Amino acid sequence: MAGRAIWKGYIHFGGFDVSVKLHPAVKEERIQFHLLHRRDHIKLKQQMVCAYEKVPVPTEEQTRGLELEKGKYLLVDPAELEQVEPEESRIIEVHEFVKTEQIDPVFLDRVYYLEPGVPSKGYNALAGALRDMDVAGICTWTMRKRSYLGALQMSGKILRLNTLRYADEVISVKSLELQEIPLAEKELKIGSDLINQLTAPFQPQKFENEHQKKLQQLIDKKARGEKIAILRPRRLKPTTSDKLLQTLEASLKKVA
Amino acid sequence: MKNRRSARLPAKLSPTRRDESAAQGIWSGTISFSLVAIPVQLVKAVEPGRVPFRMLHSRDYSPLLRRMVCPKEGKIVPPDEIIRGYEIGPDKYILITDEELEAVSPERSRTIEIVEFIDMADVDSIYYDHPYYLVPAKGGEKAYRLLVEVMRRTKKAGLAKFVLGEREYLVAVKSSEGALALITLHYREEILSDEEIVPEEGTIDAEEKSRLKKIIEGMTADFNPDKYADERRNKMTKLLRKIAKKRAPVEAPEVEEAEGEGPVDLIAALEESMRKVKKNR
Amino acid sequence: MMRKVAEVAGRRLTLTNLEKNLYPSYGFTKAHILEYYRRISPFILPHLKGRALTLKRYPDGVEEEFFFEKRCPSYRPSWVETADIPQHDGERMTVCLINDLNTLTWVGNLASLELHVPLARADSPETPDAVVFDLDPGDQADILDCARVALIIRDLLSGVRLTGYAKTSGQKGLHVYVPLNRKEATFADTKQFSKAVAEVLQRNYPDLVTAKMTKGERKKKIFINWSQNDASKTMICVYSLRAREKPFVSFPLAWKELEDLAGRGDPKKLHVLHSEALRRTERDGDLFREVLVKKQKLPYL
Repeated sequence: MAGRAIWKGYIHFGGFDVSVKLHPAVKEERIQFHLLHRRDHIKLKQQMVCAYEKVPVPTEEQTRGLELEKGKYLLVDPAELEQVEPEESRIIEVHEFVKTEQIDPVFLDRVYYLEPGVPSKGYNALAGALRDMDVAGICTWTMRKRSYLGALQMSGKILRLNTLRYADEVISVKSLELQEIPLAEKELKIGSDLINQLTAPFQPQKFENEHQKKLQQLIDKKARGEKIAILRPRRLKPTTSDKLLQTLEASLKKVA
Repeated sequence: MKNRRSARLPAKLSPTRRDESAAQGIWSGTISFSLVAIPVQLVKAVEPGRVPFRMLHSRDYSPLLRRMVCPKEGKIVPPDEIIRGYEIGPDKYILITDEELEAVSPERSRTIEIVEFIDMADVDSIYYDHPYYLVPAKGGEKAYRLLVEVMRRTKKAGLAKFVLGEREYLVAVKSSEGALALITLHYREEILSDEEIVPEEGTIDAEEKSRLKKIIEGMTADFNPDKYADERRNKMTKLLRKIAKKRAPVEAPEVEEAEGEGPVDLIAALEESMRKVKKNR
Repeated sequence: MMRKVAEVAGRRLTLTNLEKNLYPSYGFTKAHILEYYRRISPFILPHLKGRALTLKRYPDGVEEEFFFEKRCPSYRPSWVETADIPQHDGERMTVCLINDLNTLTWVGNLASLELHVPLARADSPETPDAVVFDLDPGDQADILDCARVALIIRDLLSGVRLTGYAKTSGQKGLHVYVPLNRKEATFADTKQFSKAVAEVLQRNYPDLVTAKMTKGERKKKIFINWSQNDASKTMICVYSLRAREKPFVSFPLAWKELEDLAGRGDPKKLHVLHSEALRRTERDGDLFREVLVKKQKLPYL
């Protein structure tokens, strides 16, 4: 079931208000490891250490500074920064609506379910409208002293709120400096055919976290004192540009 | 201070792995579909915008770093002295080495094997976890460009699983503005059910909905993330600039700062060598 | 004043004050000095070639005042090769390059007893050819302690697959050079590396080694001066004379030899005089040659 409600707010736009409660929509499951000291198996702690002397520094000897340049810091008292803390507000203000498909997944950060608040007036109408028009509301709100940008959308039976990354937090593809390489139409055609042959409907329930299971098996094996075979991972030979076309053709033959 | 998110793809623990994870990327390996194999590196696609605060030692203003410390000795433990343990009882652990971890799914820790392609439109955005870019390694440039282009034309994304460190990820590989983006996905079982909080199926007031739609239409525009800035961060930066004009900065002692893993790995290697030297003398 | 016009390798050069005794208590004249440099030239020239020279001139001998000269004297012969090195303030300075025997002789004639050169060559002043561990004994420590430290450094480096080469400073200390000879090398890297090594050694041998420059820290210890790994710093060139009471030479020592000498505990054996330097180079060749040619890469950087 969904996590406990972590916050309450009001969706607000054009004279319209809907009260909602935020619930986390995702919970990651993983086997937890502790980090231990190899020689005596003592559990390690993460601590702040002095970069210069490499020794742990107690909290009372820690202070915060703004890094102006390497080695130069501006000391700031937390009280001085109070004034920039956003005001506590319960309003999720929608500024505009965009076609849902226009939001590139690279901008999506965390996702929350929105449960209708009390009173639940307007929730269903909003949900219906968003679904019919396939749009998302771009909104801003303040939660626990932080400002968020988000997208409000309808999915299945419930409204969802996604936090979005700011434009300056996304690394541009341009900065990757990828090479422009001309491709032959034949290669593109066979490549496209291959992909279409390998296309299946998206069925996420097909995919289990097998690794978790195997990891648990490994742990159980070790607990029983069994020897673990170390298999070296195989590295595939890269497909060179001169072999690309024939590899595509061979692949297509295999799947067709 | 715990990371806000549960760990992103974690850095490997032992320095011996260093030549396997590329100096600049998070991971390096191969991405494959059918018989085609492309050598690639995984790099960041997002960088959280933050005001560059650092924790400093109040005594001499040397910057502080987060490191693993042995509470018994109160000293930093270098990466090659750290081992993972799974707790099976109070102070009882099963130890797992990097090699054993990689041996769990050896294929998947070096290869992202695309097993099928899906229509991007079919993917509910709730599955998206964290984005990365893949960049081609030497020799893979042409095959890389081909994959980008055919996925763009067909509007499909590749589904694959791959392992890094302790975790196995389900990922979608898609074409994004001329590059390959790799987005980790949540597993079905990690998506929480909305059953208990889903609203009742009430009758919707058609008039209200139609009024709403008109308002929404009037407020519809193209998605342009540049329009929005992190207000708090901007206000903070402005204020700090003002403070900086009136106040002199403090200086850290004149030393080379240990950045990231580099020098700590070096020192670990030197200490290891030192241990052997002392043993033989 | 004895003046002689010599023809050295086809160039005319006026040699002056040849009979002047520049090492009064030992008895070593300018002529002797020039003779030493002439005979050692096949071995020293490759280590001087293409490097910005800092002259250390003792016009009146080792007991009198000396002065450093970085700028190549304007009255130099036309055939002395030079380079223009950028300075901190943006200006460029002309420096002498000892690329041949004539220039070596001319420099010797200026009573530049000591020849100091940077770790980088003049055509690429930000690219060090080697990492240097400058071992300097503090008060009450001596060259034998340096030898002990040098041997530990050798072992430590071999554990990270690096080979170093030792030489005497010609005074109280020792130098260990780790050749890199790669264009990617930077002083930032070599400084970081040498500092890391120095600190690891200080941690493990706190009574023998210090990485800190403050005088108080150096008593009875060997100071590893890692800050020498800098574009602005110079080291005494191997085979150069030193302006000490006697004409000792900065001379390379094989590791085996260092082990034997350190074991025997006689510090005198670690000081090499001009005559011994000549005898040994003429018999064994350039023991420091590997520092010029061996290519190595610093790990973990």
